[in-house]
Amino acid sequence: MFTRKKDIILVLIILLFFVLLSFPLNDWLSASMPRHQIIQLPAMFLLGVILGAIFPSLNIKETSWGIAVLIFIMASFIFWMLPHSIDYAVINSRFNRIMHLNMFVGGFFLWPVLRNILFEIKILFLGMLSAMMLATGITLRAFNILLCSSFDIGQQKETGFYLIIIGFLLFVLTFITFFRAAGKKIE
Amino acid sequence: MKKILIPIFAFAICLAVIWKWTYGFSAFTIYSYTLKEAGNSPRAFPDFQMMDQNGNVFNLKDTHKYVLINFVYLDCPSACHKVNNEIDQIYHLFSRTIVPEKLEFVTVSFDLENDNIIKIKNYRNLYGDDIGGWTFATPFQTSQHDFTRLLRKIGIWTYKVPETGIINHSLYLFLISPDNKIIKIFDPARDDNHTIIEQISKCLQEKKI
Repeated sequence: MFTRKKDIILVLIILLFFVLLSFPLNDWLSASMPRHQIIQLPAMFLLGVILGAIFPSLNIKETSWGIAVLIFIMASFIFWMLPHSIDYAVINSRFNRIMHLNMFVGGFFLWPVLRNILFEIKILFLGMLSAMMLATGITLRAFNILLCSSFDIGQQKETGFYLIIIGFLLFVLTFITFFRAAGKKIE
Repeated sequence: MKKILIPIFAFAICLAVIWKWTYGFSAFTIYSYTLKEAGNSPRAFPDFQMMDQNGNVFNLKDTHKYVLINFVYLDCPSACHKVNNEIDQIYHLFSRTIVPEKLEFVTVSFDLENDNIIKIKNYRNLYGDDIGGWTFATPFQTSQHDFTRLLRKIGIWTYKVPETGIINHSLYLFLISPDNKIIKIFDPARDDNHTIIEQISKCLQEKKI
């Protein structure tokens, strides 16, 4: 399966990072809401994305399966952004590991889907993801009630602020992707 | 036709998981989830003994009155005191013919490690001398672990943040009927004092009929 030595090394590095983030660094990452939601959760997803990108032969060509995977990824993000899930993940380490694995698996299948899926669906997915990040960020920033019992209101607002930035950057990325592809079509 | 079903099926599964996890999209925080998990009202209020600010042991089921009960801890940086200030206003907005004759107020500390009777009595004194129908209490002869479990049964979530020692918890107010049932639950973050008074008065009037 691995034809190149550097691919094997890359896979091992990714797995090492996964273990590091999930085990020795878990307590530190769970100690504050920005670390948990802005570092740990996206890091697991990105590790999965990188791993998925290493396998060019792994392709999900069928649009219906592609949409199903994107729905799974979106639902995963929604689930792990719920205050109830965040709290439970901090309190229960097993539940936290499910989050790590879920995000990692979701990320792993993203690239094989995006490589082949219709452009319109790709844009829709990116747009929805950025809108969700922005909405969550605004909610966390605007609410003066503590939504997660494991953290404090300052951390809640700080997480909201970073989510707004991430959502905005993702929105810019969606625009760039859209106009670049639209430009190519016109040419 | 078959291919269309794949994303629909994926969507249905994801929706079902989130639906189940949030009690039908009604409990998104651990506070509201704990309350939902405890059951819908009216439901029985758990039977447990408490000790009031004067050292008297009592049980809510023996009061045979309406009781508005809330749970706090005295080292709370702000939320508990804000809620108690709201309760203080509610208390004084009721006429003396209702409180304490038909309705009593009970504030229970759930921090068994740090709150004792002396501390509770001193705290109660901050609210003045004219609060005869407002009892401040602490659970009697129970451990922190057992009382935390009992709080879950009531619908109160508590979590002590290890780094700061702050206990984040639900702020709900429970209206207990004379037959020891939780009949109304108020959220001070959403319900204003007048709504709470209106709802309690309605319950008291219903009893009269």
